[in-house]
Amino acid sequence: MTDALLSVKASPQAIKLDPRTKLFLMFVISTIMISGSIEGEAAYVRLVLMCVPFVLLLTVKRLKEALLYVFFCIVAWFGEAFLVYSTTGILNILIVMLSGLILRFIPIVVLGYYLVSSTHVGEFVAAMERMRVSQKLIIPMSVMFRFFPTVAEESRAIGDAMRMRGLGNKGFFSNPVTLLEYRLVPLMVSIVKIGDELSAAALTRGLGGPGKRTNIFRIGFGPWDVVLLTLVTAAAAVYLLA
Amino acid sequence: MEKKMNVKDLINIGLFTAIYVIVTFAFGMTGYIPIFMVLLPFLISFGAGIPFMLFLTKVKKFGMVSIMGALLTLVMFGTGHGWPVLVIGLITSLLSDLILSSGKYRSRAKTVAGFCVFNGWVIGNMLPLYIMRDSYFESLRSGYGDEYAAILMSLLSLWMVPVLIVLLIAGGILGAMLGRKVLKKHFERAGIA
Repeated sequence: MTDALLSVKASPQAIKLDPRTKLFLMFVISTIMISGSIEGEAAYVRLVLMCVPFVLLLTVKRLKEALLYVFFCIVAWFGEAFLVYSTTGILNILIVMLSGLILRFIPIVVLGYYLVSSTHVGEFVAAMERMRVSQKLIIPMSVMFRFFPTVAEESRAIGDAMRMRGLGNKGFFSNPVTLLEYRLVPLMVSIVKIGDELSAAALTRGLGGPGKRTNIFRIGFGPWDVVLLTLVTAAAAVYLLA
Repeated sequence: MEKKMNVKDLINIGLFTAIYVIVTFAFGMTGYIPIFMVLLPFLISFGAGIPFMLFLTKVKKFGMVSIMGALLTLVMFGTGHGWPVLVIGLITSLLSDLILSSGKYRSRAKTVAGFCVFNGWVIGNMLPLYIMRDSYFESLRSGYGDEYAAILMSLLSLWMVPVLIVLLIAGGILGAMLGRKVLKKHFERAGIA
């Protein structure tokens, strides 16, 4: 997994957006994409918004993913616009379901991928602090992101240990509950322990102290943020009024 | 019992949310096989029982489940599950917190109930499928006639929602029971609960 929210260094990017802009994009695009159709004026709005994740993917140098995304979008749009009316029976149902789902969810999923892979945890925390989100939410959130890789690593180690004792995944269908127990119990024990250590370390570094903490990341709205915010706001306005 | 949350509690919330998210995604992967999509609420609430029950013994302060729910729904929203989950998730986790704190995070019946309510956020994840359905079939009907629209309607029909909720509750009860059993069998003996 190369996701930047999970790693120390964010991937190189041509346009750097403020995390708050990304969240706003996510909100507007997911709302319009899920509820819209491909007829009438709303179709143009959707077309414009579908281009946004594509451009954003390019800015983080994910050409392959971007092309794949365009391919899926075009096929699904074609399917929904033409094939739906020229096929019958089971095939028709399949096309309707598939193209509908792809057209509605792929842009959001791709945008989510962009959000996660282009934002550093520290940057995200800085943005949350700027939005005056409570520390009660910020601290657990940064811990959570910090812990995804750790949990995955521990889980892999447990899997290895199980295989060495001949308890691999093969018992899954005969006894799923036992397998769940075997996997989760050691994981919980080690996570609780790591958690204790982490809170001791965090406390000695002054987390939860009364002073205001500083953040190494500088965030702020640049020209590209303004461009995208205007574009998306305009699209939302057209969509609501149309 | 101390009322205010300290840093240790907040860190614990973050930890258990991470585990919950991973369990959710691990089971969510099975949703790519269509029939499992229907079973998803059951699987997720069953699988999350063990971590959740341990979580309840760790913090025991009002707001723990709400914060977890807020983070969880933010992750779901951020990974492209649409906005309905934000609304549903916040409501269910707040309700769950109220139920749990009325039992002081200890009462057996109330932990089971609270867990089931908390898992209601899964419905929020699936809701876009049903919201989209209306606008979608509207345009479909005008273009293609009632017959096909009707067949498709029944595939994604609204009566599936109660079925999903029943599955969710069943999974929640079983998951909570398993969680409590494991808690007694392992964690209390090991001295970490």
